[in-house]
Amino acid sequence: MSEMLSGAEILCRALVDAGVEVIFGYPGGAIMPFYHALPDHPQLRHILVRHEQAAAHAADGYARASGRVGVCVATSGPGATNLVTGLAAAHMDNSPVVAITGQVSRPMIGRDAFQETDIIGITLPITKQNYQVQDVTELADVVAEAMAVAVEGRPGPVLIDVPKDVQNQKTAYKVSGAGGQRSGKTRHPTPDTRHPSPGSLEDGVRAAARLIKGAERPLIMVGHGVILAEAYAEVRALAEKTGIPVITTLLGISGFPDGHPLHLGMPGMHGEVHVNRAIQNADVIIGIGLRFDDRVTGNTASFAPQARIIHIDLDRAEIGKNVPVAVGIVGDARDVTRRLVAAVEPRRCERWVEHIRGFVRTRAEAYRGDLSPEAILASIYEASHGDSTIVTDVGQHQMWVAKLYPYQRPNTHITSGGLGAMGFAVPAAMGVHLARPNGTVWAISGDGGFQMNMAEMATMVQEGLPVKMAVFNNGYLGMVRQWQQFFHEKRYSCTPIWSPDYVKLAEAYSIPGYRVKDASELADVVGRANAQPGPALVEFMIEQEANVFPMIPPGGSLSEPIEAAPAGAASE
Amino acid sequence: MSGVPSPSAHTVAVLLDDALVTLNRAFGVLRRRNVPIEGLALHPSGTAGVSRLTFVLKADAVTTDRVAQQFHKMIGVRSVMVLANDDFTTEAKR
Repeated sequence: MSEMLSGAEILCRALVDAGVEVIFGYPGGAIMPFYHALPDHPQLRHILVRHEQAAAHAADGYARASGRVGVCVATSGPGATNLVTGLAAAHMDNSPVVAITGQVSRPMIGRDAFQETDIIGITLPITKQNYQVQDVTELADVVAEAMAVAVEGRPGPVLIDVPKDVQNQKTAYKVSGAGGQRSGKTRHPTPDTRHPSPGSLEDGVRAAARLIKGAERPLIMVGHGVILAEAYAEVRALAEKTGIPVITTLLGISGFPDGHPLHLGMPGMHGEVHVNRAIQNADVIIGIGLRFDDRVTGNTASFAPQARIIHIDLDRAEIGKNVPVAVGIVGDARDVTRRLVAAVEPRRCERWVEHIRGFVRTRAEAYRGDLSPEAILASIYEASHGDSTIVTDVGQHQMWVAKLYPYQRPNTHITSGGLGAMGFAVPAAMGVHLARPNGTVWAISGDGGFQMNMAEMATMVQEGLPVKMAVFNNGYLGMVRQWQQFFHEKRYSCTPIWSPDYVKLAEAYSIPGYRVKDASELADVVGRANAQPGPALVEFMIEQEANVFPMIPPGGSLSEPIEAAPAGAASE
Repeated sequence: MSGVPSPSAHTVAVLLDDALVTLNRAFGVLRRRNVPIEGLALHPSGTAGVSRLTFVLKADAVTTDRVAQQFHKMIGVRSVMVLANDDFTTEAKR
């Protein structure tokens, strides 16, 4: 005879059984039974955030850093809707997150009850799957299934909506497991999508190897799929066996070591000129785990006009979605790349690599107090001995970090790429710390994005999360200002942004705060912040109207970048 | 679903769980991509818990194939068939 448990107790038990150790959340009316049961499950460490958006971003950061499911919890109505941005970010960047929301009791659903919202309807397009639990007997299986769905195949967020009366309902706790009625009913991966037949896989690999053999100007493009599949050694082996240079997309950064002689850098809208010119001149592109996003391709009609594309992706719906593909291989990046390494013949591409090096442009921007992004990032790299995880927000600083930070270790660059959600860095860095408690985490934000979620400093203090925060303060919403400069006649509409005194603000949260105005202070201040046992904040007073160069105008061709003006003219 | 489909019409037959949320997701794919629907039918498939959803889409072959690919990866979808407006029947291919 199994013991009788409430739905709330079953939720906790099922999370423990699924191996969950940390949950990020915020209590409220419709989730109170869960919070009542939670203290009886000390295996679940609860992080009390200051806004549910931060819970979702933190769960996302935890998931990206650990490869495990990140869990967030919120109440119904406003609690649930506040999760939406974080779930959308996790959806766009394929991060395994499970969100648990309270819901009004079943008899009240559909009657516009207090704090009722149709969170299932709201999150349908931004979740991989979602469930509203109608009976407590389903609950344990739904949790187990949601945890599995979030990580399997192409990862993504899953939402479980639990009405309050279901949390209070009692039943025996048991998981029916695989083959149980519930999982048999709802989970039915189409076999050809997730398990391509070995024959077609081998055909694809052989066709790809033939294309690579005949190529004169081949390129490897590495995306987030390489990090999700941990295909680092395989990609490196492919590059080193063939001598083919490697491009890393924004989410592929740290999937291949930055200092490697075959590493070219980031492509696309803010990619270096030589990287984009390499793409435009390539005759074969091997794309591994990327979706040829518009920020990577620019105008697809003029993208890589001479290239035949080999596209390796877990999701066959991605093959040919954005760019025409010569060889599409559906499969796990690690497995397919390993097969490709075995199938290709050793070769060199020295003349081609040398040709690309000839496209390299030296940078020409000037910065106030010599406080260049390079200098700031070098000081963070030095202070943490290259051993920290960098979490970035969205905007100019994000592009500077992507282009300039010398990533050496895999999966140490975490950012909101697809959704581009400002406010991501600070809460996501809290999740990264919990996944990597022994490493240093730097959350780098602009003065705009930092102000979106800076209340999470209180979470860091209360929960003991030693996140180091860097704020690039230029007094502008810098990336939007840059677009206004180039595309809107320098009409700086609503982009100047006032900031509080961040040093005093940090002190108000009992966090050490520092301000850097000149490059000469960098090593000392960043070193001291990095050495703090708890959280620390450093504000960098950077050039106000510095731009991210080069830049491809939206919808433009990779062949036509806007480049930096000569030195001294940057802040005209 | 009576009458002759227009020349640019394609029929997509989807076998999926008979859960409202799965149906809702399927419609979401069409709504998001703004694909006009010429006809629509939902029937039991003959297997318990599985429905057959048939769309006639006013869309060319390429658009129809993209839609089919999106259906393919939905959880709760068991199979997707694309039927061209002549008698030729084919499994949705990559």
